[in-house]
Amino acid sequence: MIHLKVTNLHKSFGGLHVLKGVNLEVNGPELIGVLGPNGAGKTTLTNILDGAIKPSSGTVYLNGRRIDQLQPYEVARAGLGRTFQVTRSFRRMTVLENLYVPALALGHMSQGRALTERATEVLEFLTIDHLRNEYARALSGGQQKLLELGRLLMLDPDVIILDEPFAGVHPKLMEVIYAYIRRMKSEGKAIILISHQMDAIFALSERLIVLNFGELIADGSPEDVKNDPAVIEAYLGRDDEEDAA
Amino acid sequence: MRQVPNIAGLCLVLFFAAFPLVYTGGNYDYVMHVLITGFFYAILASSWSMLAGYAGQFSFGHMAFMGIGAYGAALFSHYFYLTAEPTGLCTEYAFFGNWLVIKNAIGVTSTTLTQDCLEQAISGWGDSVKVWRMPVLLGIVLGTVAGGLSGLLVGLLVLRLRAAYLALFTLGFSEIIKAVISAEIDITRGQAGMVLPALFNDGVTILGTEFTRTDKIPPYYAMFFLLLACLLILTWLARSRFGLFVRALREDADAAAALGVNTTRYKVFVFTITTAMAAAAGAVQAHYIQIVTPNMLFLLQMSLVVAMAVIGGVENFVAAALGAIFLQVMLELMRTSFSIGGVTVDMTTWRLVFFGVLLMVVLRFFRNGLIAPLIDYFARAGVAEETIAKRTAKTGETQP
Repeated sequence: MIHLKVTNLHKSFGGLHVLKGVNLEVNGPELIGVLGPNGAGKTTLTNILDGAIKPSSGTVYLNGRRIDQLQPYEVARAGLGRTFQVTRSFRRMTVLENLYVPALALGHMSQGRALTERATEVLEFLTIDHLRNEYARALSGGQQKLLELGRLLMLDPDVIILDEPFAGVHPKLMEVIYAYIRRMKSEGKAIILISHQMDAIFALSERLIVLNFGELIADGSPEDVKNDPAVIEAYLGRDDEEDAA
Repeated sequence: MRQVPNIAGLCLVLFFAAFPLVYTGGNYDYVMHVLITGFFYAILASSWSMLAGYAGQFSFGHMAFMGIGAYGAALFSHYFYLTAEPTGLCTEYAFFGNWLVIKNAIGVTSTTLTQDCLEQAISGWGDSVKVWRMPVLLGIVLGTVAGGLSGLLVGLLVLRLRAAYLALFTLGFSEIIKAVISAEIDITRGQAGMVLPALFNDGVTILGTEFTRTDKIPPYYAMFFLLLACLLILTWLARSRFGLFVRALREDADAAAALGVNTTRYKVFVFTITTAMAAAAGAVQAHYIQIVTPNMLFLLQMSLVVAMAVIGGVENFVAAALGAIFLQVMLELMRTSFSIGGVTVDMTTWRLVFFGVLLMVVLRFFRNGLIAPLIDYFARAGVAEETIAKRTAKTGETQP
């Protein structure tokens, strides 16, 4: 049973208090959307969860193991994977090689036919199997997003953080990403989806949390969050403002 | 098509293996010397290519590690001896019925006999006591280990350094090593350098043919097989998960770590392996030329290795090795001065200008060198056609 627990998380950069006591709990296969204006602390929260930066205080436990002081590779091996806001594919490596990296790093597969078959299956699902031997740098921006998602499939973590997976993606490829997210959910993964695409995040999420100036100001169903006055004030905007606009 | 690089590589190996046996042109020793030096630079360029081209760790300290290997072998052969009797003058330890003698450090002196503890003992013994030099091979191994351990240490120190900072750190390290060697005259003899025994000091017999210590064929094959061994190890590493991970490290260390790659381990590992190779090359070269001096560590030497790797192709260690051999041969061929309309062109100087121009042209127009793209062209033959065919089959499109 997946269990991610974030308790009283604080992070400061000099005099800037970016996260102010964030608490969050994920139980089992959930699809949680994260909303918040720029500077709300979404990326900082993600970076702390994956071990890239250490919190000033607070704890993060994944399946009973404390992970907030681990190195990123240890966090990945503990079962948390992520994509990046700006795509970070290994550009001078082929698409297949990109997929081999996480599978071999975790050691649950070795080089050989099984690895190639697994990678092929992933690429077929993501509709980019025809690009398998091309260098990643030859892929379009949307295809590189898919490649990042493919690497997560090869990593096979319990918790997946998707940071802006729809940014700059063609509608046709967005359908593939939708299918990807639903598949991950059906396979029992917990997914944390960070996006500014309101339509997508409301359509997919079962639960929404909203960050504003480093504080978690709402946590509930999409409908509840949509009608939360604090969220409307901070992020969604009031109808009269929209009318005025 | 994809086998062309492998077949060409095999042909080149056979060519270089047979060359000393079939070459009948003039200046035999000189030609062999040029190739031995070419192989030496090829080891340095290919190992640097693994470090910089594959792993993205732009170290400018590679010649320092070569120097550590060379001086490691030199210090070992200079200071350590075995004797049948204790000298009573040197530092010495009982060693399996003999004595391990460590000579005292006397620096540069014209009164070696009176200050050198072992020489004093020998002058007293005459021929009655046996004195043995340490095996050359052991010195090479120790020099290699010293270089690898230094690489391990530097690898640990530069974990958080990237790009220009890493380059400057390793450049500083290289200069420190050179300064220490120059300054510690008592131990290293400073600019006077240290003399080493020849690679095969007592001669060697190969396939029934006896070679003396000055013959070129034994050191030719020693350096050639060391190069082959290095290339085989690099090939094995590049095709293993190690190669995949260090390339991922080069592309994006943070993304690689987020996918479970222990980037620290592989960064240190690649430093250790490649610096050990540089040290091995240095140790063998030191015994071949029989002298080591701090000038081996000049920045110009490092620039030469970098240029060789860049002109061959820094992202392919075989291309880097070929670039090194090609450039070494070209630089020697271009030594011949000539006249144009009564004006003599002194090629001993101008050849370096041509070399510089070639480097600039390659950097401007062929970012991955002159040889690596050729290898890549054949190794990736058919990839574009395969992509187009699969895409057409999937979408029914007729245009790529």
